[in-house]
Amino acid sequence: MKTDLSKELIGITGEFKGHVPLLEVSGISVTFGGLHALSDVSFTVEPNEIIGIIGPNGAGKTTLFNSLVGLQKLSSGHVNFDGKRISGHKPHSIAAAGMTKTFQNSALFPGMSVLDNVITAALLRNPLKTARQESEKVLKKLGLYEVKDTDVADLTFPQKALTELARGLASGPRLLLLDEVMAALSPSEMDDVIGVIKEIRKSMSVSFLVVEHHMRAIMALCDRLIVLNFGKKLAEGTPQEIAKNPQVVEAYLGSSASVLGGEHAA
Amino acid sequence: MKFKGVTLNARTAVYLCLAVAFLIPLGMDPDGYLLRIVSMVVLFAAMAQAWNIVGGLANQLSLGHAAFFGLGAYTSTLLFIRQGISPWAGMLAGGVVAAVAMLLLSIPLFRLRGHYFALATLAFAEVLKIIAIHFADLTEGPTGITIPYGEPSFANFQFESNTSYYVVIVALFAVVSLIFWKLSTGAMGFRLRAIRENEQAAEVSGIDTYRIKLGTSMVSAFTMGMCGTVYAQFTYFFDPESIFSMTGISVRVALICIIGGMGRLWGPLIGACILIPLDEIAVNTMSDVAGLGPFVTSVILIAAIIYEPRGLISAWERLRRRAQKKHAAQSGQAAGAV
Ligand SMILES: Nc1ncnc2c1ncn2[C@@H]1O[C@H](COP(=O)(O)OP(=O)(O)O)[C@@H](O)[C@H]1O
Ligand SMILES: [Mg+2]
Repeated sequence: MKTDLSKELIGITGEFKGHVPLLEVSGISVTFGGLHALSDVSFTVEPNEIIGIIGPNGAGKTTLFNSLVGLQKLSSGHVNFDGKRISGHKPHSIAAAGMTKTFQNSALFPGMSVLDNVITAALLRNPLKTARQESEKVLKKLGLYEVKDTDVADLTFPQKALTELARGLASGPRLLLLDEVMAALSPSEMDDVIGVIKEIRKSMSVSFLVVEHHMRAIMALCDRLIVLNFGKKLAEGTPQEIAKNPQVVEAYLGSSASVLGGEHAA
Repeated sequence: MKFKGVTLNARTAVYLCLAVAFLIPLGMDPDGYLLRIVSMVVLFAAMAQAWNIVGGLANQLSLGHAAFFGLGAYTSTLLFIRQGISPWAGMLAGGVVAAVAMLLLSIPLFRLRGHYFALATLAFAEVLKIIAIHFADLTEGPTGITIPYGEPSFANFQFESNTSYYVVIVALFAVVSLIFWKLSTGAMGFRLRAIRENEQAAEVSGIDTYRIKLGTSMVSAFTMGMCGTVYAQFTYFFDPESIFSMTGISVRVALICIIGGMGRLWGPLIGACILIPLDEIAVNTMSDVAGLGPFVTSVILIAAIIYEPRGLISAWERLRRRAQKKHAAQSGQAAGAV
């Protein structure tokens, strides 16, 4: 009963003493030479949430993802995952804890088939035999089963992006960061992927952080949005709130229609 | 082809031929030149296979594997001469010493990227050579060590007939190749391939790239140390210059593997079958003109690398695929004509 009560309280207040969010990002900054790629960014992610990260090119979205999964050293601040400090840890141990990402410019393993790429990640939590079965399941879900034996170097751009997504899912994450996986997809392929992501959140209770320029996808997927601009968090709120936020509108140098109406907001 | 109920496909046929090829030298003159060359070919194939574990599987190009070779040779030989410990036990001790040396070397190196590993291993072998020359109390110095010829016995790792050494060398090649094969297949094979193709993506997928690279490089050093012991027992003599040699050992085993096919099980054997006889011919026929022999081999090597950078095994596979396609096209035409 106690846990039920606390859950309700979180629902009401959004905060509760002793409550631990899935991801807690506290004042992280990253500098490259003199460039502040991220400045004092803080936010939290709850289990089963899908959060969109939007912002113009160069805003620091990829840098944020790299910082979270351990590919990028922080200049300051820290990150907790499931209540444990993970900033400073190596990417493989963060992946083992349950957070991984896809790469914006596909970073698959060339010379290996689609299936072998996915198996490699599935081996994190499975022996080879079950890793193969799990991987085939994921490929079926994403409509990649027909090309499972194709060398990833021979895939089309959309197939590469989907293989990135499949590999991310296969490692069994609790929070998966998607860096523009839908950039090359056609509208109908995008709808399929949106459906798959929502289904996975429900069936496997995976949370997502989504960087995407397609506003239609962002609107269809996300519970909350975080807006980055020049490395700073400009705003945070529901898609509707963000659409009305004057600062955000200004950052995008246009009307509110171009923020959340057009295909390419950035 | 069906043969007494056993279906003989191309692959098993190749393996049968290979097994027969390994048996042929058993019939050679034990004191002959030919058996010696064949033994050297297989020994260098074993050394190149040891190199292949770190160079081919983990993509860490070592140019100093003579270091681990020499550590193996010195460890087992000194234990045998000074303490009377059987070289078989010495071989394992030498492997451990080599692996620990690799560990100490790798901890700082893996943090660096690119060619640092190659340069540092190269320097490490040179430093060991200098140490071996100057600490004569321990190593007998520049004159080298001659293994005293005692009563031939298995325990002493000394045999009457060179044929026995050949058998030991083949067994060594089999053991190192088995280790290579175990690492390159199964779950570890997936992880190593991922590390080779994209280290960042491998890390993010949950692979501890540092630990796996460290582990494979230590296994490589261990097996190279074992080769050093076998070499010492086979030749009865070695000195710092020859055992820690950059051109004679370090670069040579790397080249054998690159020529044959890096990361491929049969690459080292193919490379050794070509490079060792070639070196031998160069030494015997062109020694009048200084440097001509090495020059000719270098030219052949460069040509081979330009023609097929992934090694001769890949070139062979490409030719075979082309032949199969041609064959398929021809039989397709024939079927069409009927
Ligand atoms: N490794 C790096 N070294 C130097 N500058 C970088 C590096 N990675 C990103 N940047 C810079 O940091 C800023 C943020 O980049 P990025 O995170 O890729 O933006 P986004 O993904 O939002 O388009 C850009 O100005 C970019 O040029
Ligand atoms: Mg980006």
